[in-house]
Amino acid sequence: MREGRLLRAIAAPWTRLTRVQSLLWARKWGTLVGFAALVIFFSLLRPSVFPTVQNWSNIIEQVATLAIVSVMVTAVMVTGDFDLSVGALASLAGVVAVDLMANHGVPVVPAILIALLVGVVGGAMNGLLVAYGGLSAFVATLATMTAYGGAALLYTDGATLFSGIPEGFRWLGQGDVAGIPTPVIVMLVVVFLAWLLMEHTVFGRRLYAIGGNAEASYLAGIAVQRLRLAAFVLSGLGAALSGVILASRLFSAHPQAGNPFMLGAAAAVFLGATAFREGEPHVLGTVLGVLIMGVLGNGLNILGINSYIQSILTGVIIVLAVLISSLSRRR
Amino acid sequence: MRIGLRLPFSTLAAAAALLAACAAPPPAAAPGAPKKTIAVVTPYMANETTKYVIDRFKKEAEAKGWQVTVTDTAGDFNLLVSRIKDAVTQKVDAIVLGMGDPAQMTQGLEAARQANIPVFGIDAGNAPGVLVNVTSDNASLGKLSAETLAKAIGERGSVIMFTHDPHPGVRARAVAAAETFAAYPNIKVIEKKHIEVPGPVDNARKITEDLLTAYPDNGAIAGIWAGWDEPALGAVQAALAAGRAEIRVVGVDGTDFAKAEIAKKGPFIASVAQDFDAMAAKTAELIEAYFNGKKPESEAILIPGKLVTAENAK
Repeated sequence: MREGRLLRAIAAPWTRLTRVQSLLWARKWGTLVGFAALVIFFSLLRPSVFPTVQNWSNIIEQVATLAIVSVMVTAVMVTGDFDLSVGALASLAGVVAVDLMANHGVPVVPAILIALLVGVVGGAMNGLLVAYGGLSAFVATLATMTAYGGAALLYTDGATLFSGIPEGFRWLGQGDVAGIPTPVIVMLVVVFLAWLLMEHTVFGRRLYAIGGNAEASYLAGIAVQRLRLAAFVLSGLGAALSGVILASRLFSAHPQAGNPFMLGAAAAVFLGATAFREGEPHVLGTVLGVLIMGVLGNGLNILGINSYIQSILTGVIIVLAVLISSLSRRR
Repeated sequence: MRIGLRLPFSTLAAAAALLAACAAPPPAAAPGAPKKTIAVVTPYMANETTKYVIDRFKKEAEAKGWQVTVTDTAGDFNLLVSRIKDAVTQKVDAIVLGMGDPAQMTQGLEAARQANIPVFGIDAGNAPGVLVNVTSDNASLGKLSAETLAKAIGERGSVIMFTHDPHPGVRARAVAAAETFAAYPNIKVIEKKHIEVPGPVDNARKITEDLLTAYPDNGAIAGIWAGWDEPALGAVQAALAAGRAEIRVVGVDGTDFAKAEIAKKGPFIASVAQDFDAMAAKTAELIEAYFNGKKPESEAILIPGKLVTAENAK
């Protein structure tokens, strides 16, 4: 009888699950379960290919650049703002870095630092427009996205920069440390620092407070404007870093190479936000969002699914995730 | 918060004056002169390719003793229409469109038609009012690159195609390439992948990585055909990074970065360049024939491409 009692004890919480509780359960674990379901699904369909070490190192290397932009743009989205300019800024930083080292004899490291500075300045510009100029983040970064994109095209005259790039630049995007690709290491460092900064410091808690209620935060004595500006600077820096890594990975700079980051980062942050009860962006949630997008793209490619259908599926999955999360939050 | 956006009128007036000053002076007509006058109008002189083909055309035309004026409107199609009308007013003998979609210049083309001035397009497009358009034969570009790949893989094996069907030119290349591969009984196209734009190099690189994982055996993928050079570059990088340098890759366009990669004699074996020299020469030839009373036999003259391989890539 002891086994019976044990079984009942184990089953008890499950049998008592009401609809509300199951929704709460879905709320808490749904996104993670969804991710696991994707992994299992692809593993079952292509067991010899998908769940291999080689494929997973592929996936992680592929998402590294997107992860860096996304966790940094999370800082902006935590405060309730939005940054449409990250893709254009990544492109701009990439062409600046490559042009400096290929055409102006600037050594690799200073060239990279200047490119990162471009990201900081671009992000600060966004922050000034939004926090101090009072523009909506959507309008301000829509404008700067266009301007930064134009600057990248103007800078290169629309061309692709590919000749005269010093070999030393290759390490950042194509090198490795003890077999771990450099972009992955950079990603891990950035994710860790961003997680520390946003989840475990006063700075981070204040960003969340602003996102919760900017006016109340202001009345509570939080320097709302300065913090919103800082969030945009982080976002710009992340974009520039990704753009430079991408340029090293492709060993060439295309004036629009980073543009796809914008939609990818937004989708990753939204997907990641569904993994939390309050539905607000978190660094680790964003990483989960990036992984979901990476696994989806990789798995569908391996299954040989038509590219247009891939886009539709990605859209459907984002909508489903956010829908489930908002439905369960309403209870 | 209210956003004040009240530009003083003087600012606008100053901007207008500045724009007017930037606009190129209208082409000078040569009344009574026996020299034929040609007005070249383009919205894209800042584009390297456009500049190249127009310079080539100018050379050809001047060698034939014509007077050529070139007007660039820097992407402004509205201004372009005005410039075409100016040329019509000056009664030039022919107007040449240096690229630019003629569907966006209907008004100007109509003015030219009424004045009986022939309009020749160089890689512009066909529209009412354009007598003839000289452009690359995208089908031949696709066929030539596909045939080069087929030969390079010994006419057998699995091939992946990187396409972008929303672009009519790239689509025409892909259709021709697919037909070419289909003619080889031992070549099989195993995947056709749509490449996202912008970001085609990175996108193609990721897709190639995924496909190399899906087809892990050496030789499982013999070749990759790309509809233009950017995805070919991404495919080459993925193949090299994965140690699958045996895969042969071809692109189309013969861009400088493709040539640099082809010259390394790695997986990127060939690209097909559009032959802008031939396009410029053909346009001049058609204009000369027109002056001699001979109209072009069709409204689209297609110029085949030039193969770029390791031998001539430098």
